[in-house]
Amino acid sequence: MKKIFVYISVLVLATSCTKLSSLNDDPKKAVVVPGEMLFSSAEKSLYDNLMSNNVNLNVFRLLAQYQAQVTYITESRYDLGTRNIPQAFWQALYRDVLKDLSAGKALIKADSALLPADVIIKKNKLAIIDITEAYTNFILVTCYGNIPYTEAMDINKLDPKFDDQKTVYYDLLDRLKADVAALDVSQGSFGSADLIYQGNVASWIKLANSIRLKMGLVIADVDNAKAVEVINDAATNVFTSNADNAILKYLSSEPNTNPIWVDLVKSKRKDYVIPTTLVDPMNATNDPRRPFYYTATTPGVYVGGVYGSGNVYSSYSHVSAKITAPDFEAILIDYAEVEFALAEAVARGGFSVSGTAADHYNKGITASITYWGGSAADAATFIAQPTVDYTKLSGTWQSKIGMQKYIALYNRGYDAWLEWRRLDYPILNAPVDIAYSNIPVRLTYPVSEQNLNKTQYDAAAAAIGGDKVTTKLFWDKF
Amino acid sequence: MKRALLFLTMLMVSVTLAFAQQRQITGKVTGADGSPLPFATVQIKGTTTGTTTDQQGSFKLAVTGSNPVLTIRSVGFATQEITLGNSNAITIKLKEEDKNLQEVVVTALGITRKKNELAYSAQTVSAEELNRTRDPNVVNSLSGKVAGLEVRRNSTMGGSTNIVLRGNKSFQNSNQALFVVDGVPIDNSTTNTSDQASGRGGFDYGNAAADINPDDVQSINVLKGAAAAALYGSRAANGVIMITTKKGRKGLGVTVNVGGTLGTMDKSTFPKYQKQYGAGYYDQDDSRYESPDGHFLYRDIDGDGQKDLVVPMSEDASFGAKFDPNLMVYNYRSFDPTSPQYKKPSPWVAAAHDPSYFFKNTTTSNTSVSIDGGGDQGYFKLGYTKTIENGMLPNAKLAKDMLNFGASYNLTSKLTASAAVNMSKVDGKGRYGTGYDEFNPMQGFRQWWEMNVDVKQQQEDYERTKLNKSWNLQDPNNPVPIYTDNLYFMRYENYEKDNRIRYFGNVALNYKITNWMNLLGRVSMDTYTQSQEERNAVGSKNTSSYSRYDGTFGEYNYDLLLNIDKEINNNFKFTGLVGGNVRNTRVKYVREETNGGLVVPKLYSLSNSVNPIQAPVEADSALQVNGIFASVGLGYKKMLFLDLTGRRDQSSTLPKGNNTYYYPSASLGFVFSEVVHAPWLSYGKLRVNYAQVGNSAPAQALIDAYDKPSGFGSVPLFSVPATKANAHLKPEQTKSFETGVEASFFQNRVSLDVTYYSSKSIDQILRLPVSRATGYDQIYINAGTISNKGVEVSLNVTPVKTRDFSWVVGVNWSKNKSKVLDLPSGVDFIQLGSFTLQGGITIGHAKNDAYGVIRGTDFIYDKSGKKVVYDADGDNPGYYEKTGSANNVIGNYTPDWIGGITNTLRYKDFALSFLVDMKHGGDVFSLDQYYGQGTGIYASSVRLNDNGKNIRDAVEDGGGIIFDGVTPDGKTNTQRVRVSGTRGLGYNGFPSKAFVYDASFIKLREVSLTYSLPVSLMSHIKTFKGIDISLLGRNLWIIHKNLPDADPEENLSAGNIQGYQSGVYPTYRTFGCNVRFRF
Repeated sequence: MKKIFVYISVLVLATSCTKLSSLNDDPKKAVVVPGEMLFSSAEKSLYDNLMSNNVNLNVFRLLAQYQAQVTYITESRYDLGTRNIPQAFWQALYRDVLKDLSAGKALIKADSALLPADVIIKKNKLAIIDITEAYTNFILVTCYGNIPYTEAMDINKLDPKFDDQKTVYYDLLDRLKADVAALDVSQGSFGSADLIYQGNVASWIKLANSIRLKMGLVIADVDNAKAVEVINDAATNVFTSNADNAILKYLSSEPNTNPIWVDLVKSKRKDYVIPTTLVDPMNATNDPRRPFYYTATTPGVYVGGVYGSGNVYSSYSHVSAKITAPDFEAILIDYAEVEFALAEAVARGGFSVSGTAADHYNKGITASITYWGGSAADAATFIAQPTVDYTKLSGTWQSKIGMQKYIALYNRGYDAWLEWRRLDYPILNAPVDIAYSNIPVRLTYPVSEQNLNKTQYDAAAAAIGGDKVTTKLFWDKF
Repeated sequence: MKRALLFLTMLMVSVTLAFAQQRQITGKVTGADGSPLPFATVQIKGTTTGTTTDQQGSFKLAVTGSNPVLTIRSVGFATQEITLGNSNAITIKLKEEDKNLQEVVVTALGITRKKNELAYSAQTVSAEELNRTRDPNVVNSLSGKVAGLEVRRNSTMGGSTNIVLRGNKSFQNSNQALFVVDGVPIDNSTTNTSDQASGRGGFDYGNAAADINPDDVQSINVLKGAAAAALYGSRAANGVIMITTKKGRKGLGVTVNVGGTLGTMDKSTFPKYQKQYGAGYYDQDDSRYESPDGHFLYRDIDGDGQKDLVVPMSEDASFGAKFDPNLMVYNYRSFDPTSPQYKKPSPWVAAAHDPSYFFKNTTTSNTSVSIDGGGDQGYFKLGYTKTIENGMLPNAKLAKDMLNFGASYNLTSKLTASAAVNMSKVDGKGRYGTGYDEFNPMQGFRQWWEMNVDVKQQQEDYERTKLNKSWNLQDPNNPVPIYTDNLYFMRYENYEKDNRIRYFGNVALNYKITNWMNLLGRVSMDTYTQSQEERNAVGSKNTSSYSRYDGTFGEYNYDLLLNIDKEINNNFKFTGLVGGNVRNTRVKYVREETNGGLVVPKLYSLSNSVNPIQAPVEADSALQVNGIFASVGLGYKKMLFLDLTGRRDQSSTLPKGNNTYYYPSASLGFVFSEVVHAPWLSYGKLRVNYAQVGNSAPAQALIDAYDKPSGFGSVPLFSVPATKANAHLKPEQTKSFETGVEASFFQNRVSLDVTYYSSKSIDQILRLPVSRATGYDQIYINAGTISNKGVEVSLNVTPVKTRDFSWVVGVNWSKNKSKVLDLPSGVDFIQLGSFTLQGGITIGHAKNDAYGVIRGTDFIYDKSGKKVVYDADGDNPGYYEKTGSANNVIGNYTPDWIGGITNTLRYKDFALSFLVDMKHGGDVFSLDQYYGQGTGIYASSVRLNDNGKNIRDAVEDGGGIIFDGVTPDGKTNTQRVRVSGTRGLGYNGFPSKAFVYDASFIKLREVSLTYSLPVSLMSHIKTFKGIDISLLGRNLWIIHKNLPDADPEENLSAGNIQGYQSGVYPTYRTFGCNVRFRF
């Protein structure tokens, strides 16, 4: 019988001799991966989050009044706290975009390149990641104000400080300038891992400059000299046609479809109609983009709903089948926008941008109409109308460029909201019982920052003048 | 336990026969009250000859000699010797022994100890107490029966039950008590998703301890504190539910149970609806509806060129037009070509069949057979139980088959081999959806509904067509379901199916080295495989789909124990234990689903996917803990008992250097009744102990690994995970102190057990949420301290005890107070779950507050505490102001105290027992009230105002509400405001705070009436040894509660997120009958 105990003891001992620490490895996950694949993931996340039509994440189409809600009107009445939207958007950009970019950057930096060409390719990759980081931070800083920047992306810093928004903004401008200088067209970069330009370095230079042009105008009201410096340097090599557009071509099956399809079609929900804010001015000008933008209620008739109230879905125009297609491509920055920016630079004066404001304005409209599916002739007819013609329209350049840029930026809620805050045009419709001055001009900080990073949060809220949706950011002078 | 002891005694008495000059004597052994004592041993003194009594306490024995002496033993009675004389028929009355001295309990690792030697709190529940009302989930049956044990159940079929001893100690890791069956740990986890637990939807697949066969349970001993459980090391922090299964006894015994139950809805837990207003979100400022009166859509449906009134079918609320039978309107049936109402209007009236029509009575049937037998060399037992449960929703069925086998055999006089094997099979079909989910009909019935929708018509529409004929159509121009499918279609086409097959058991060899020392080697396992299949039929609102989850769980324990129990001399007793344990756990699963829809309708297979399916989610984690332990116990004169234990664990989930840790405990017991002699004092003991136990880290928390989302076409993607691993984790620890007194008085007619405990849990292993600017959602970290202090009282009183009648009252009461003492620096709140719950609610931990704080938006209060309404010239004048942030503490789910009172009355062969179960304090947030009040479905939304007018009437007509409060300048609010579909009630006018309710309740939890056929009658029916007939009832009456329309106990899932209700099911009163045959 004693043998039995020997057997049992041996069994017990044998089992306990297994290497304990190796048991804890995850056999289903990778610990080392190529940095390029993190960059691809970040690019996709950036587009997904800006394109999202999910009321829990991205409500910029409501803030810009490209959409009105049908039954549940909480968010269009500017209650953004119930669904914690500021937190979702902040989290998406920091965690899903910036973290993958910074981790990818670190991994690529650690690659020891062997050939001279590889050295250039590596440098190009790092510059491209830096441009993407700068653009993402640009969205954050213009959405919230002061943001964690110098101490962000550091897990050893659990209470990152919020940097001054203007300092961050100027640093982003410097980084973009340096990135453009660093990019070397003699070699490629990411190749197919770059979902936007397939690694084409020249395209990235144009994109970086187009971003600089956009960013320059944002500060033109508060620091014209800096705006001039930035734009004069950048505007010489920006997008020159729709072929330059920074687009992501979504695929037809999940999980790589356009998120709009997921939110509006797959969900089977009918939550949004197009409000009068967009439909009425387009009706007034017989805009040829209407059938591409939204549906007709009866053939050729487009009717806008009431922003901020309930609407019967079927009584109003809603998002078009073109946009809700699963593989509808998404735009980060496009040529039309660049032309409107150039028009504005000329209209403002003091910039070394050639051409007339009207010329750039017309090019912007034409680029938009032809991009969406209209013909050049449609564009020409449209522009010739006195209600559109830059030279015949009354009003300030802000109102003229503001309205046409608003129409051209359709479906890009964040950009439209940024332009509205900057140009104060077009005039939006305040919901019943809500004052125009209470329309949000920034998002509040996430609740998670209040809970988890309170000291820095309090300092930031005080520094920007209060953590309210009505607090104007540093560049929003008017 | 009695039987096991008895069995051991029996072993010592080997029956020998055949002596010369023998004579046959017959006798009867009874208690002091004359009741027969079965299974008493009768032995001829000085020999090994003897027998046991039968069910009637009778025995027959052959004796030799003229004056033999018989020794009679029975557990719980003083051993008696009797000189036989010449009599051939005797009756022997045994005196009850002081049971406190004799009662044995099963302690950690399955070691039995006498209860009087224990220096820590342990409470036993007998099989009879446990199974009185035969709940299929053994965990539910513990509610109210153990002081310090909090049970939270829910009414879903086979749903999970939360079971916590002495309060939650871990911020985020499991707080569920450890289940141990015959010394072997049994998994009690749930596979519910985090979405399910946080109310976002999904099925509640139940907790795995529900696989334990209630009919195989002999007794349950609850080791509440850390000292009692310290030998389990890193799993002991949450206390242990020790289950001892039945053992075979000498001879052959067969028991058959046949029973069934019927459940009916407790209407106090279901909404009371208003019947005056129908579909819509009407508000006079909101112009969404087309008809001239602003309540209906206005389209020409019958083609007569005139516009007709159409019900706004897409609107899942009842703030629309007042019902008027003279008004003819077109409803969803008017757009269904298969309907007799096609293109025809119907009168505008409240539905004849409201949502309660959807619910059926529940039924369960229960059959169990157990056979046991034994002889001198061993015993065996065999049990089989089958339960079938039909749920309250259509097409819901849960079937359980449980089989168990146990045997023990004495290979030699010193070596015993034993084995136990349990097998269970659970098949679920059509479990109920939970939370905010279209698979949960209660989401509609409590939150979003049109009171004009007739549920019976929905049933007819489905049965007529087998199609998804929903009332909730998007628009007359596009009559397809918008938010809700036809609920019958949903139940019959989109049902889930699941299956779990489980084996657990152990084999053991016990070698008796000397009569005071034995060595036990034991290998045990607990394994199960489970599959879950979920489906969306073609034709559903959702994209059709099929998804499946297949998982396996396996835990293996290897134990070697040297056990010493030695009386050194009359004064000193020594017990000791040295042992080792290796625990190995492995969990694996794969989850996958179709992509883009199903090609062929009704074919549920992954290959039937429209688009290529994405890579499945695979998980595979292992953990191992190697432990060695020792304990030393010293007893002095049955009076002083000192126990010291120590355990050293080494865990695979912690980093080298931090992976070895020690758990010490010390306990001291003093039986003062050995010193203090008073006639009224039967027994008394003081005890005090201290222990340190802990929890190791979850698997795979040390090393960062990348997430792998599906590639973008042919471009592979990788992403940094949301949780940062930490290579420097150490175990979390709970230090606990306990002291208590046990005493019984007046010949044990009154017994009392009072315990005070205090525990402090430090170095919590947290997935600490961090500023997202770090790039992570959370990081693994050791931080935070929580204390739990409490008092437990158990009181048993026998006010009446006569031969024919007895009355026993048992009371369990406990109060636990938890306090979060410390959180990581800069953090003022740790949220449970990764999402904000719906309604803007977060549940978690705040410094200096109790475990389980509920946070959300609150009213704004003036200095005197009155609620503030917006002033006349601001936005929304006359309505309540709300805080801008959702950071306000608005409740806490931890109850103040819990208690249960059991009364057992016996009269001759009748026994009546009832349990009143109660909980005082603790809060619950009701998302059902938050939305349901806002959508105007409840009766409370048509109440009268101070003018005696309906609050829904226009303000100009004297309707509306003046909200109780003050304007910001401190004046009493006099602004009369309207109540409509977009403002006023529920979420449309109130902060979350308004929907936090006191979750206290008093329930009549269990009632049973048992009749045992009298022995006199039984003797005529030779086949049976006994027949017991019982009538039983569970959850019969909620005597008191403060939450309207729902049961405050109802939860979403077992786990740390409690105190939140969304679409909860009504409670069912269960009535049943059970007949037990003993052969």
